[in-house]
Amino acid sequence: MQDSTDALVKLAIKAGDPYVAAAVHELATGASKRQIEAQMMNTRRTALALARWEHTPASVLAALSGIGDDAVDLRLDKNPNTASGVLSNLYADASNKRNLNLTKLIAQHRNSEAGVLKSIALFAEDAESLLALSKNPSATAEVLDCLSARLADSELGVALNKNIAQNISASADLLARIYERSDLHTQAAIIGHVNCPDALIAAAMNSEDLLVMRTLARDKRVTADVLRRYARSDDAGVRCGVAANDATPVSLIGDLAGDKSELVRREIASRHDLLPAHIQVLTGDADDWVRQRLARNAIAPLDVLRVLAADVQADVRRAVARNAQCPLELLELLAADSNAWVRAAVAYQHHSPQELLVALAEDGDVDVLSGVANNPNTPQQILEKLVASSEADVRRGVILNRAATRNTLLPLLEDPYYLHRVLMIANPSMHELDKWNLREDPDYQVRFSVYRWAVKNIAPINARYIVGNEVIRRRRA
Amino acid sequence: MKILVAVKQVAALEEDFEIRADGKDVDEDFMLYDLNEWDDYSLEEAMKIKEASDTEVEVVVVSVGPDRVDESLRKCLAKGADRAIRVWDDSAEGSDAIVVGRILTEVIKKEAPDMVFAGVQSSDQAYASTGISIASYLNWPHAAVVADLQYKPGDNKAVVRRELEGGLLQEVEINCPAVLTIQLGINKPRYASLRGIKQAATKPIEEVSLGDLSLTANDVGAANSMSRVRRMYVPEKGRATMIEGTLAEQAAKIIQIINEFKGA
Repeated sequence: MQDSTDALVKLAIKAGDPYVAAAVHELATGASKRQIEAQMMNTRRTALALARWEHTPASVLAALSGIGDDAVDLRLDKNPNTASGVLSNLYADASNKRNLNLTKLIAQHRNSEAGVLKSIALFAEDAESLLALSKNPSATAEVLDCLSARLADSELGVALNKNIAQNISASADLLARIYERSDLHTQAAIIGHVNCPDALIAAAMNSEDLLVMRTLARDKRVTADVLRRYARSDDAGVRCGVAANDATPVSLIGDLAGDKSELVRREIASRHDLLPAHIQVLTGDADDWVRQRLARNAIAPLDVLRVLAADVQADVRRAVARNAQCPLELLELLAADSNAWVRAAVAYQHHSPQELLVALAEDGDVDVLSGVANNPNTPQQILEKLVASSEADVRRGVILNRAATRNTLLPLLEDPYYLHRVLMIANPSMHELDKWNLREDPDYQVRFSVYRWAVKNIAPINARYIVGNEVIRRRRA
Repeated sequence: MKILVAVKQVAALEEDFEIRADGKDVDEDFMLYDLNEWDDYSLEEAMKIKEASDTEVEVVVVSVGPDRVDESLRKCLAKGADRAIRVWDDSAEGSDAIVVGRILTEVIKKEAPDMVFAGVQSSDQAYASTGISIASYLNWPHAAVVADLQYKPGDNKAVVRRELEGGLLQEVEINCPAVLTIQLGINKPRYASLRGIKQAATKPIEEVSLGDLSLTANDVGAANSMSRVRRMYVPEKGRATMIEGTLAEQAAKIIQIINEFKGA
């Protein structure tokens, strides 16, 4: 194991590529680590690029934080992979330099430690940092408590409480405290919060405020009586909420299925508790989106799907083809549809049988062929043909097809599109050696992905390729 | 038959960058370099003509710039260009688009192509004048913003469709040889194959000096250009307000702003 680790690091050093160096950095120790870091930071340009890159490993970002370059630090503060310890050090530095921009970035970073966030809550003076903190879902209930308490009586406190009312980390106690001194917008947000205390919900059910009613209408904790009252509301937003609420009694659905607002009827068309009479009404709805949602609904019966499969709107017919319960007779009908998007839906449908997919493989449309390429029912010999398609979307479909075998996929190791080669490294059908052979690819992202894969699979691939490769090279030399 | 494609390596910026100490450009450390997008389409148009032709067509790419430009020229070679030429001298630093057009013109005179393609504009400077200045120096016909091209090697005329405002197209017959500036979307540029990339890595890039083109340092650079950059800066932020509040409140405020704008 140690042999293969050392060999991998040596190979990376020999490659002289900052992205390969970054890929193996976490494995390197001692002098090797210093060499690896020298490669990553040999120019400011490289350091800046790695600090910004979304794939840069956390250990590399930690190493970059030691350079002491403000421009690099700014990018580290923005990089979602930057670890909490690094952010804590950067916060200390930002505080010493009174750099408010960096403090704001740390306040909103998802990896910032609770201690750092609490310090910002207690001591930061600038509104932007405090507002950013109030929106950060990584801020704990305690941090949000501190923040709210510290600025309770200030003008900024109102804005902070609005954000806290929508922050998933806010506790029931804090929400209850904020509620009493908040405006209607904030109260409505608190009512819609997953941690909202039941007592507030119960009290809010008597409210006639539209914002509160629109929020509560979607809440499963609301009683059937209240939902009945809401279903008679003049406001379409309130009725929409009732139509979307799983707790809505079936007795209300009939009226809502014939609602004057198409927005309400669209919500109803997606429900899984529709009765045959409701479905009948919705099948003939004048609104395309209502029919489309019904056509996607898994409870739609065969006779209704037959009607919708002949709909004048292609999007409705496409929705039938995408329905998980779409029967073979309709898939066959829709496979011959004049609209390519409808045929593409059949091609993507996992229930489509081989014969249908073989026929669709002759289609000239790229979306249809992409669907055939993606479909695990597509015969291997068809996939082998699609691998040679001039359309990148079709070739990508084969790569993403979990039924594609290694032999089918092999030509795609030389795909012109770099992202396809990156995807091949993650493909479980490919052999380890297939992936390892991409290590000298012309594209730095492919090379980085190969070495990252090797780092993560160092035990299984062990001496066979990495050490073996090194030995072979030495023997040749 | 020969088609010469003028290409440029352009710089893209991240959201955070620093201005150079002299205040005239962005610090190079913050720039990401790539082949100009318009030039990718120009090269593809040349490659389409080459691949559809019964007679031999040579595609030559030319660029003015320092060593780093080789990377973009190799990209063109990997996509099928037959030869690549790079012209540079440190004295050319700061040359405006017209001077760059003049340098390219001297290359074109030596190469004697049957057609010259250039991108409509570069994505970093956007002067949209290099191709047109080449046509002017050569005294050749030109067509700008070409969105469609009908041309066969050996023809003495080409038919181009030019993209105008309002979705209009203008069909123009143009005498050849000509300089065409190619618009995005005229074709679908290819990705270079792995084999192409590997082959391009070993192909030579012809390095041409100003002297090879009978030019001197007195013909190029900022001092000999008709326009010069005085400074580059980020302007003060304009009138923009971040809408705060709950989601419902933000939506209500946006509706209010729209209604005020409409006078409702």
